[in-house]
Amino acid sequence: MAGADTSQFLQFLFSGLTAGSIYALIAVSLVIVYKVSLLICFAQGEFFVIGALTMVTLVSKGVPMPLAFPIAVVVTAALGAVAERVLIRPLRNSGVGTLIVMTVAISLTLRGSAMLIWGKESHVLPPFSSSHPIGILGATLQAQVLWIVGITCVVLAAIWLFFEKTALGIAVRACAENPLGASLMGISTGKATLFSWAWGSAIGALAGCAVSPLLFMQYTSGVMPMVKGFIAMSIGGLASIAGAVVAGYLLGIAEAYAIGLVSSQFSDSLVFTILILVLLLRPNGLFGGAKRRDV
Amino acid sequence: MSRIKPLWWVLIIACVALFPMTLGGMSPYRCGILVLAGIYVILAVSLDLLMGYTGQISVGHAAFFAIGAYVSGILTTSHGAAPLPAMIAGMVLAAAVAWIVGRPLLKLKEYYLAMATLALNVVVVTLIVGLQRLTGGASGLKDIPSFSLLGIGFDNQVRYYYVVWSAVALVVLISLTVVRSPFGRTLLAIHSDETAARTFGIDCARYKVRVYVLSAVFASLAGSLFAHYMNFLAPDDFGVDTSINILVMLFLGGIGTVFGPVLGALFMKILHEVTYGFQDYEMFINGAVLILVLLFMPKGLYGVVSAIGRRLSARRSP
Amino acid sequence: MTGEKGNILEAPGIEGEASPSDAPVLQVADVTKDFEGVRALDGVGLTVRKGQIKALIGPNGAGKTTLLNVINGLLKPDKGRVLFKDHDLVTMRADKIGLLGLSRTFQLIRLFSVNNATILDNVMIGAHKKLQPTITGSLLFRGRMKRIEKTVRDKAYEALRLVGLEDAASNQPGALSFGNQRLVELARSLMAEPELLLLDEPASGLNDSEVEGLMGLLAAIQKRGITILLVEHNMKLVMSVSDDVVVINFGRRLAEGTPSQVSNDPQVIQAYLGADRIASWVRP
Repeated sequence: MAGADTSQFLQFLFSGLTAGSIYALIAVSLVIVYKVSLLICFAQGEFFVIGALTMVTLVSKGVPMPLAFPIAVVVTAALGAVAERVLIRPLRNSGVGTLIVMTVAISLTLRGSAMLIWGKESHVLPPFSSSHPIGILGATLQAQVLWIVGITCVVLAAIWLFFEKTALGIAVRACAENPLGASLMGISTGKATLFSWAWGSAIGALAGCAVSPLLFMQYTSGVMPMVKGFIAMSIGGLASIAGAVVAGYLLGIAEAYAIGLVSSQFSDSLVFTILILVLLLRPNGLFGGAKRRDV
Repeated sequence: MSRIKPLWWVLIIACVALFPMTLGGMSPYRCGILVLAGIYVILAVSLDLLMGYTGQISVGHAAFFAIGAYVSGILTTSHGAAPLPAMIAGMVLAAAVAWIVGRPLLKLKEYYLAMATLALNVVVVTLIVGLQRLTGGASGLKDIPSFSLLGIGFDNQVRYYYVVWSAVALVVLISLTVVRSPFGRTLLAIHSDETAARTFGIDCARYKVRVYVLSAVFASLAGSLFAHYMNFLAPDDFGVDTSINILVMLFLGGIGTVFGPVLGALFMKILHEVTYGFQDYEMFINGAVLILVLLFMPKGLYGVVSAIGRRLSARRSP
Repeated sequence: MTGEKGNILEAPGIEGEASPSDAPVLQVADVTKDFEGVRALDGVGLTVRKGQIKALIGPNGAGKTTLLNVINGLLKPDKGRVLFKDHDLVTMRADKIGLLGLSRTFQLIRLFSVNNATILDNVMIGAHKKLQPTITGSLLFRGRMKRIEKTVRDKAYEALRLVGLEDAASNQPGALSFGNQRLVELARSLMAEPELLLLDEPASGLNDSEVEGLMGLLAAIQKRGITILLVEHNMKLVMSVSDDVVVINFGRRLAEGTPSQVSNDPQVIQAYLGADRIASWVRP
């Protein structure tokens, strides 16, 4: 009996790691964009999907995977940057409400484009390495999960290195913490915002590409991950990358156990209950983030 | 807030009343398009009260559309209720949900509010799918009777057109009255600056909830009308995509004007019908339209129309 | 308690002077407020007596606006009491306080400007206390609503006349200068028929002649029996118009008394720059 429990326990853990990595990465990308531009991009889920589907297309056209992966990420990053420059930047003096609606519009347009380009079917990639699952204590672990977690770690390390150790990263952080001071020192807030959007969509695309061998991706696959990424971001503390990561994994693992032990409907209810709790308990004031100080 | 001169009103009412006999040529198909358009007009106007006037963002308004539709559908099929009482029951339930959920929900700001309204929409749809025995679940609710009132059936598209557009007239009239009244001015204060509004004794939470309830009631009315028109309901019609479509109609028409959403809903619905073969493009077009409106035409179609109207009357009186 | 008043322009149509009595209208005691490690208010207190114009002055960052926000209910202090008409405002919600008879203007102008709101709309909203409209009221009692609206509209025009902006009624706030926008805020604040009026830097953005006009305006308001607590940097205005002055710095009360008492207080002189400057502001 003990053996069976352990293997079940591990099995759920492994699926939780997959979902958790997605939520963690999406949450981190939301945090990065939020820290610098005080915006939450509703279209983040679409960058996740477009990154994955772009890689699928490249691979199906014969591009080798190690090449398709970075190309897909770069293409999506460029998409994010263009979206920021062309669609968000002109509205920077409008109210938050307008900006929220614009990100919703971007999300809608990207989803609609994805449907036109890739149709309504699901697409899947072959795994990065072998498709033989690894057996661990009675549970099976797809090798891809190791890739996903590995890529997540690399991304997080890169983010840490960038923001802590490079001059550009520190400049961007300065912009986030003190826009006026930063601009006085010659750091352009506009460039920082552009950069954060590119980073954000790149990370979303990374998550999408890493996960697509395990999930069937279609044009609507980005909506729920975005919502769950938002939940993780809110639990972790809106402007905290570390918090987003921890919350993302916790959410993913909790969800996996809920699906495994009860049902997927229970899991959905659980996630939405968590969302409602987060919305009720998070003090609003923190969100004022606001370009204006109150009163 | 610009007022439409009485002469224009007469013209508009005449057009609406005479449509089936002229352009519609008693054609059920054309009347049908306008029936659907009318239903979406009600939805868009109801969202305008909440977003345009009170400044509360909602990407889940279809939740109340669903409540009205399913209450009407369920009561008139399995329980043999007459359509009008069922419709009223739907409005009561929608009002109750809005009242209960409204207070905590409307305390949230901006992104959190958007997420919460989205969550509400998803929860309602999940409930509809889950309560299969009651609602038919994912396969839908069938055989909903057509609308009838005091024994008079409205199963004919042309007749139903008059029912729906009478409802539209009622909704527009009530909305205009409310926004032009002191209540409307209070909403303006809340929308602009809640802190200052509070200083003048305005209980922002209470007013926001009241508008939320009113907009929920109107959305529910639209839902009931929809149920009796389609005679069939599927959960897919009530998801976040629908909520976002209503949002697009609202912005396209001109947010914060009551007339704007009328134009926006009409335009989008007719466009949808005209481009029937291009259904796949609908999502992309909706998104693109919204982007273009936000960037280049923030006052929407109504803004353009009034600007033209102003230029014309300026020319007339030099 | 005699105050020191400078030039007061003719206030038309007002008879007699309402003289300040000794009854306190507002008592602030021991109010403390911390913001993430910064102590904005440190046990500050003051008393405003009925019918007087009291000025609240202090260097930048002294906590003046924070104190107004506490009084008006927009901020809850960590400690302390704010007594107004037998209520401790610290325990009350801001909108309930608004219904009690306390009104204010803001340092950073807060006029309502969405959906083409006009100056008249702004001023009329000030009378919310009287109307407290409902949806059913708007739909079912239209006749009555219209009549009350007319009364409010007439009062709004009167308030705009008082501040000299009657002609701007149908403009939007953005079209006016900052000085005029402040006057609109003032008109709006009068609509609630307050007993106590909190003014946050009303002279900011006004030129010299406009400040003279404001002085007359404040006197006219005082003559109507309204008590005023005024945050100001314009010392000429303060010394001319106030019956009483309280000086705060670093969230603490430094001095409280008549303008001449306060301007001779060594601590106050030290807090501001230079003894000469203050002395010259006090009219001989």
